[in-house]
Amino acid sequence: MHDLACPEISFDSCLKCNACVVSCPVSNVTLDFGGPKHLGPELKRLIENQEFIDDSRIEFCTLCGNCDMACPENVNVSTLTAFAKASHSELGGSKFRDLILSNAELVGKVASTFAPLANMAMKMKPVRKVMEGVMGIPAERIFPEYRFNNFNRVYNKTTANTHRKVAYFVGCYATYNAPEVAKSFVNVMEYNGIEVAKPKQKCCGVPMFSNGRMKKGLKNANDNVNNLLQYTRQGYDVVLTCTSCTMALKKEYVSFLQSEEANELAEHVYDADEYLRMLYEEGELNTHFGQMNVKAGYYAPCHMKSQGIGTPALDVLGLIPGYEISDAAAGCCGQCGTFGFKKEKYEVSIAIGKQMVEAVEETGADYIVTECGMCKNSMHQLTDKEVKHPMQILSEAYEKAQNR
Amino acid sequence: MYDVVVVGQGLTGLLSAIWAKERGNHVALVSQGTGKILQSTGLIDGSPGMGEKENTMAAERAAVAASEKFKTLMNNLGYPYHGQLNKPAPIVTGSGYVKWTSLYPETITPVPEEGNVVIAGFQEIVDFKAVYVKENLQKERPKLNIEAVTVRLKKHSSRTMTQLDAARVLEQKEARLNVIGQMRNEMTKQNISHPRLIVFPAALGVNRWKSIVREFEESLDAAVTEAPGMPPNASAVRFYEALKKGAIRLGVRFYMDTQVLGCHVEENLVKSLKIKTTNRTTEISGLNYIIASGGILGGGVEVTSAGLKDRVLGLEVDEFGQYTNCPHNVFPVGASQGTKVTRYGITGGMFSILSSYEANSRLNRLAKEDKHA
Ligand SMILES: Cc1cc2nc3c(=O)[nH]c(=O)nc-3n(C[C@H](O)[C@H](O)[C@H](O)COP(=O)(O)OP(=O)(O)OC[C@H]3O[C@@H](n4cnc5c(N)ncnc54)[C@H](O)[C@@H]3O)c2cc1C
Ligand code: SF4
Ligand code: SF4
Repeated sequence: MHDLACPEISFDSCLKCNACVVSCPVSNVTLDFGGPKHLGPELKRLIENQEFIDDSRIEFCTLCGNCDMACPENVNVSTLTAFAKASHSELGGSKFRDLILSNAELVGKVASTFAPLANMAMKMKPVRKVMEGVMGIPAERIFPEYRFNNFNRVYNKTTANTHRKVAYFVGCYATYNAPEVAKSFVNVMEYNGIEVAKPKQKCCGVPMFSNGRMKKGLKNANDNVNNLLQYTRQGYDVVLTCTSCTMALKKEYVSFLQSEEANELAEHVYDADEYLRMLYEEGELNTHFGQMNVKAGYYAPCHMKSQGIGTPALDVLGLIPGYEISDAAAGCCGQCGTFGFKKEKYEVSIAIGKQMVEAVEETGADYIVTECGMCKNSMHQLTDKEVKHPMQILSEAYEKAQNR
Repeated sequence: MYDVVVVGQGLTGLLSAIWAKERGNHVALVSQGTGKILQSTGLIDGSPGMGEKENTMAAERAAVAASEKFKTLMNNLGYPYHGQLNKPAPIVTGSGYVKWTSLYPETITPVPEEGNVVIAGFQEIVDFKAVYVKENLQKERPKLNIEAVTVRLKKHSSRTMTQLDAARVLEQKEARLNVIGQMRNEMTKQNISHPRLIVFPAALGVNRWKSIVREFEESLDAAVTEAPGMPPNASAVRFYEALKKGAIRLGVRFYMDTQVLGCHVEENLVKSLKIKTTNRTTEISGLNYIIASGGILGGGVEVTSAGLKDRVLGLEVDEFGQYTNCPHNVFPVGASQGTKVTRYGITGGMFSILSSYEANSRLNRLAKEDKHA
């Protein structure tokens, strides 16, 4: 046995209706995965009543959360699978590769320091062949590039002095791979007269949870909760541009930590578009946008959908004159964080992604808008379409209005 | 602030949201999970369990208009439905019984009275046994000449395979060729030629059903049909996915994994709903609210020792689950209208269509009156 106690008790409400299985992107492309019903509530029920079972098929679960969205009985299926993953890794140990992949923050720090070299190496066939052989990272898979001028090098403001104050949880992707997203966000806030502070923060833990490194993930979660509460207790709102980090702060920290503090923090957490939509509804949003004649397609990341906030990116971008945007209604992207970087998962990952591409291509859009960097990576792998973050577009629309 | 907030993601909620959106409303759909549509057959029943002539709705003008509107919608969504309210169609199910239904998707063909019919099962799918289907169908249709054929999908699975799994397997070309080859061999062996109809489980592909059905028909030289049975049926999954995709593409905003916990009422108008997504409780507001939470079966109403309790708005309901004092801007649809609305207290797909249609017409009338006032 191991010492990871799963606090989730909702498994008893499962009616075995299969709605979660039907909606699981992984179950839908491979018969090798046991599926959410079996590896979630059924496994937990068995373990509660009999003895501990370690089922290696759990490795296929990506923690995308589609099972939670499907379940009509409010079973928190992905919390159950997250703990099943954790006990499986706890017992079997993690592969060296998974330790690396789950440490997005360390990889980001190192890779961005040696950015030009690291990016170049990741594009060299011989290097990738060795990585595939030694580490099981598929040679065909494109990796996001790292930036030397990462956001930590360029932005160090730790306080805000405006009426509304934002504490920005940047996340590893916008910090190391896409500082332009982070800069656009600060810009957009500036146009609304809101100062942005960047609190001390650690990786949100999502890559650790999805690699079964629950203990390490919970440690980060606790640190982040403590750091961010110091801000929310002074009237800051915590705002994020990465939908997976947002999901972690709103949902996973509360489910996994089961602490008062995690609950308190979750009340103050907003997705960036959700925040702007709220400003709009309160009559506070600067709607002085320049004209943009664009037909864009929106791709909703799974971790955006499971926040239960509608589709705020469409609501906010829809305010830009001339800007036409419609939802592709596509399923999961298949990259699923670190999942698509693994050799034994690569085929499944691509099979999931193909369905996304079909839906996205049906929109006939000029480019694709999405919040998630990993979905963007999958899109890069499978289509030629350009991909932008909503904050980049909003920032551009504000600038256009200035330059008119 | 939305124009219309719909609660429920079953057939009733999805249709109500789509039709409200088509009229230019800003629409949100809130649901704690999927509806019964995923466990259904994908057939639209007049009143469930009805016999050939029992459809009580066939005579209503509104019902005919609603069913036509529904058929137009499904046609546009790429998953057409056929059939007529006043002429229920006989459909063979996954257990071999004949069921009468109002509307059925294009992958389904009504079962004939006489002629040659082949039942084709897959060895890996335990929920559909060709021999058993044959025996039952023979009792119901004595004039049919029925043969049973069982072939293998030849796929290893680490879980019990369902009809939906088979449907996903059949999306692959080599799997289809393999099945068609075995079918031909078996049919030659058993001396079966030119059957009128070949009956498969509800597994003829998910997204590519159209070309898959055609491929089977052309290479086996017979009409084919799906016989929906134990869920998940591909016929139902396609139905749900078509409606959901249609709603999202139209611009309906989905609040998923979100439970409605109650509402705030002022002067007999609902001002906002209290909603909970896993761990956070917030609010959502609209001008009008469509309640499509499925009644007792859908989870909107709970049976307690103290009588029926409304689990959505938290308002008082009577012994039939109807709101005793329904706020002016609340429109219950489908099974949320109470247990009295259909003969056996069970609403079928056709009632979902009719009541969504009527609620939308009422909403539209109200909006017009508002404009004139
Ligand atoms: C197993 C089964 C199979 C069936 N098969 C068929 C069939 O083949 N053909 C047929 O015509 N009819 C069938 N029926 C009848 C079926 O009930 C209706 O056809 C119809 O689908 C009901 O749809 P609905 O949208 O009204 O309710 P449901 O499909 O029950 O949907 C209710 C929705 O409300 C949501 N909800 C409930 N409470 C809350 C809350 N508090 N907050 C947020 N969301 C909430 C649920 O999550 C769900 O999305 C079947 C019924 C069952 C139970
Ligand atoms: S979290 Fe995603 S991959 Fe895991 S069981 Fe649920 S739906 Fe499937
Ligand atoms: S959707 Fe929920 S109730 Fe249905 S099988 Fe999955 S966990 Fe159980």
